[in-house]
Amino acid sequence: MKVLVTGMGGVLGTKVAQMLEARPGINEVVGCDFVPPRRRLHRATFTRIHPEDRDRLTDYVTDFAPDAIAHMGVYEPDARMGPAEAARATETCTVAALGAAARAGNLQRIALRSGLEVYGRGHRHPKMPDERAPLAPTTHYGRMLLEVEAIASDLARREDITVCALRYAIVAGSHAPCPFARMLRLPAVPVPAFADPPFALLDHDDAAHAMVEAIVRAYDGPLNVVGPGASSPWQAVRLGGRLPVPVFGPGWPVARRMVELAGAPLPDHVEEVFHRGRAGDGSLAREVLDLGVMHPTQEVLADVFDWATVTPITDASRASEIA
Amino acid sequence: MRAEVAAAPNYGIDADRVLGLDAPLAALRRRFDGRYAVDELGADAHLMDVLAPLGAPIRVEVEHAENLPKVGPALLVANRSFGLIEPVVLVLAVRRATGRRLRVVGAPNIPVLGTVMNKLGAIGSRVSDVASLLRAGHLAAAPLAPTWLRTEAGRPPRGLVAATLGFPVIPVAVRAGGPLGLPLRPWRVVVGEPLLPPAGTEADDQLAAAEISEAVRDAVHELVQHS
Repeated sequence: MKVLVTGMGGVLGTKVAQMLEARPGINEVVGCDFVPPRRRLHRATFTRIHPEDRDRLTDYVTDFAPDAIAHMGVYEPDARMGPAEAARATETCTVAALGAAARAGNLQRIALRSGLEVYGRGHRHPKMPDERAPLAPTTHYGRMLLEVEAIASDLARREDITVCALRYAIVAGSHAPCPFARMLRLPAVPVPAFADPPFALLDHDDAAHAMVEAIVRAYDGPLNVVGPGASSPWQAVRLGGRLPVPVFGPGWPVARRMVELAGAPLPDHVEEVFHRGRAGDGSLAREVLDLGVMHPTQEVLADVFDWATVTPITDASRASEIA
Repeated sequence: MRAEVAAAPNYGIDADRVLGLDAPLAALRRRFDGRYAVDELGADAHLMDVLAPLGAPIRVEVEHAENLPKVGPALLVANRSFGLIEPVVLVLAVRRATGRRLRVVGAPNIPVLGTVMNKLGAIGSRVSDVASLLRAGHLAAAPLAPTWLRTEAGRPPRGLVAATLGFPVIPVAVRAGGPLGLPLRPWRVVVGEPLLPPAGTEADDQLAAAEISEAVRDAVHELVQHS
């Protein structure tokens, strides 16, 4: 099977490529992105193409004519790109890659990155939606993801291929660009004064594992991919040894501006996590993809905070290095 | 029907089972350090444990506690007259009889109070959330419609039963210790035998849900009359 990995330069895309390389039955893995892969790849081939470069991307995918696509070319606002650029890149990459692959004639299956953001949050939304919950995104990123799912579903209806939309919880970890984790790592973190909504996190390895299984098993339909357990803003902030700054009502625009100045832009889908939480029922994915034991949210959270203490450089060690 | 055991313990706290209580200072330290777990619906198991001693003065007698599952999911359906203290009594009864946490359905969806109730284990009335909770292996309790001063069982939550078909439904009768809920004698909680739909019944089977709903109402009525 020939697999195309879009967005291969991200932590998740690289991990998916590595796992696909190790799978028997996967003959060829190629991928593209605007940055090179984060880790060494042995069999997979990477080509640097910006996701907004529609013509190059179309030619590249047409030449390869994949049997399957792991569509990781879905860019979270303020992770590696600003919100406007992320929306453009996601749309262009989705339309160009999926369309070209379908026209090339070999495409049988697509697994794509989506998120729990497609369900939306609020009083009228379930707190722990399963895959049958209504899709009513309440954020810009949620609407982006729903559009990607809609494009892939339309293609599936037209071309008779399977499409698995993996609706990830917040994917976080020690070395990945993630606006939510970036915010939690600030020395002082704004938290809601009168609420403490739960959110679930997902480890990179589990997210990549789900993507590979969805490709290999050709699962057809959406799946929530969520690690066990949850956290809440107050608990997460204290676990990281950060200072919680209670904020309410009109204080939030000010807090948003302050954290942006501190280097952690706060897109609306991340702010929503602080106000309304984000969780989902991932039991179906664990069953049909046989995901085994997944990393609990608390473990992923600990990993997020470990990041700052990796290889601390003290004055003494620096002096000895220089000497 | 998918069901699995509850999530692994975090920081020595289990979302489903009471494993042990911290000393007051250790509990404070744990809160300050953020070494406690919450679940996907906002329940804070550590806070529940910290506040559990407040329920100590409430005396509860549990009959047929063997009908409560030691592990795995189940939906308890109980009668309700005033509806204020019965959920607390039910939570205490299950906690004392099995060491498990009971999640009461029907938390109000309003700021602050809703958050506090969620932290103490209550969940909203949305049926998909209750179904997700059961799939995660927890115990949930849903009340019949209130009957105020009458003693019979109220209308069953048929929509909820339909969405959670396949999980055991356990009828429960809660009787006050004295008139108007006065604590003259211990509260009595009588647990009935679990009801299950016929094998092979799919979730959302309306006929099976209606049959189970009627059966559970009759069972609760029976328990109320004889307790």
